[in-house]
Amino acid sequence: MEYQPPVSDRLIRRLQWIWVGGAFLLVGGFIAWIVHLIVASWRLDDVIQASVGISIVAIPIFLVFMGVIFYVFWGVTLHGRKRED
Amino acid sequence: MAHERDDHEDILLAPIERTGPGFYWAVAFLSLLILWGAIAYSVQYTQGLGVTGLHQPVGWGFYVTNFVFFIGISHAGTLISAILRLSKAEWRRPITRMAEVITCMVIFIGAGQILVDLGRPDRMMNVLHHGRYQSPLLWDATSISAYLMASLTYLYLPMIPDIAILRDRLSKRKLFYSVLALGWTGTEHQQRVLNRAIAIMAVLVIPIAVSVHSVVSFVFSMTLQPAWHSTIFGPYFVVGAIFSGIAGLIVTMIIFRKAYGLHYYLKPIHFRYLGQLLLIMALLWFYFTFAEYLTGYYGAEPEEMKVFWAKFSGPFSPFFWSMVLCNFVIPLLCLTSLRQHTVGKVLFASLAIIIGMWLERFVIVVPTLSYPRLPFPEGVYAPTWVEWGETAGSVGLFALFYLLFTKFFPIISIWEMREGREKSVREVEERILTYLPGEVAEKP
Repeated sequence: MEYQPPVSDRLIRRLQWIWVGGAFLLVGGFIAWIVHLIVASWRLDDVIQASVGISIVAIPIFLVFMGVIFYVFWGVTLHGRKRED
Repeated sequence: MAHERDDHEDILLAPIERTGPGFYWAVAFLSLLILWGAIAYSVQYTQGLGVTGLHQPVGWGFYVTNFVFFIGISHAGTLISAILRLSKAEWRRPITRMAEVITCMVIFIGAGQILVDLGRPDRMMNVLHHGRYQSPLLWDATSISAYLMASLTYLYLPMIPDIAILRDRLSKRKLFYSVLALGWTGTEHQQRVLNRAIAIMAVLVIPIAVSVHSVVSFVFSMTLQPAWHSTIFGPYFVVGAIFSGIAGLIVTMIIFRKAYGLHYYLKPIHFRYLGQLLLIMALLWFYFTFAEYLTGYYGAEPEEMKVFWAKFSGPFSPFFWSMVLCNFVIPLLCLTSLRQHTVGKVLFASLAIIIGMWLERFVIVVPTLSYPRLPFPEGVYAPTWVEWGETAGSVGLFALFYLLFTKFFPIISIWEMREGREKSVREVEERILTYLPGEVAEKP
């Protein structure tokens, strides 16, 4: 592997955090949107069962995505790097 | 990484390292299509949906047809790839990446059709702020979002080792590849983590993909419109989606096989297997179509029969019978014997199916709206150049995204091909022994 100067290494790590943070933000954004729709239907007394019913399925799926993304980031980047050291 | 460098891997890296004139010609052609689409959209944006052929009662035309069609094509990737991966079909290795990329690109294009159909895209904010989950349209938005996230994750994870290869081997885009490779060095621990994550995603993505097209069908079947209110619309749409998805995948494979010289990886055997899958899907599609129309005909509900006869012998009959020809007759003729001219036959059948499946979506969407149940006047839909332009632009955009992807990442998974050679040959032998009776079979 080609030697990377430490500054570059730091930059790569920062960008990797931003990359994973962006993925979290996107998935989290979807969860926030679904929660917003539940709150809106609650506030308007507008058949909340439909919103809750769909959210019960949708939110855990998005949470699993977050879990998988974090698991890979932790396992490959953080833990993987520690083991290498 | 401790792998021997395979000379043939250079073929996979060549499109990333070098750019030939063919690429620029393709980009120029696709840019023209996109320009046509952009002009069409800008005219529609400034003058409103009145410039299209949409009117009352036919409020859904090309855009919704394209939406259903593109979301259907998206089933090419993640679903097929996940099924092949989980069933340990070893011939999948050169195919999965191509399939997964189709999914990710085409979902964006498919979802974009709804924005175009809105006429005023700013109204999308109303869906975000004031959406109501009683509407199947919102179920669609949710399941497509989940499918998009699943597909992006499922595309990215198996790409990590390949991105690390690019980081180590190429002299350009070092920072880009270093960030995306997540520090991958190919240790046993990293491999274990990645394999587990890919397996989780493969399991998760199948029900999500099935739900997506079921929910797309609910947009129609939850209404009481003639020829839409059907309980089998969910599986009918899913079958059609996988059908068109496989056809789309085959066409893409053949184009890139020719353009990038991938004959060493994409062999006739791959096309034969996919052709057989396509034949099964053609039969399934025919079964669902037959069941759908037979039950409607047998019920003989007057409003339903108006739509029925409009399709069978009325103004929509050319589209309906072309659909049957493209989706059933041609595939049956081409795919029943694939011993000779395999690639040519499979390509011809796939092109016919892509046209046929687009027609199927059109034949589902438009005739019902032309003969509504409510006492509206009947209407005829004729698309204008705006809708043709937007459709051409969407196809161009998809092809351009795909082409650009191949300039940044290998279109065939390098590490999975290596794994196939180094491990899977032995693993498959051991696995087959476990299937067989006797003590020897128990041993591995």
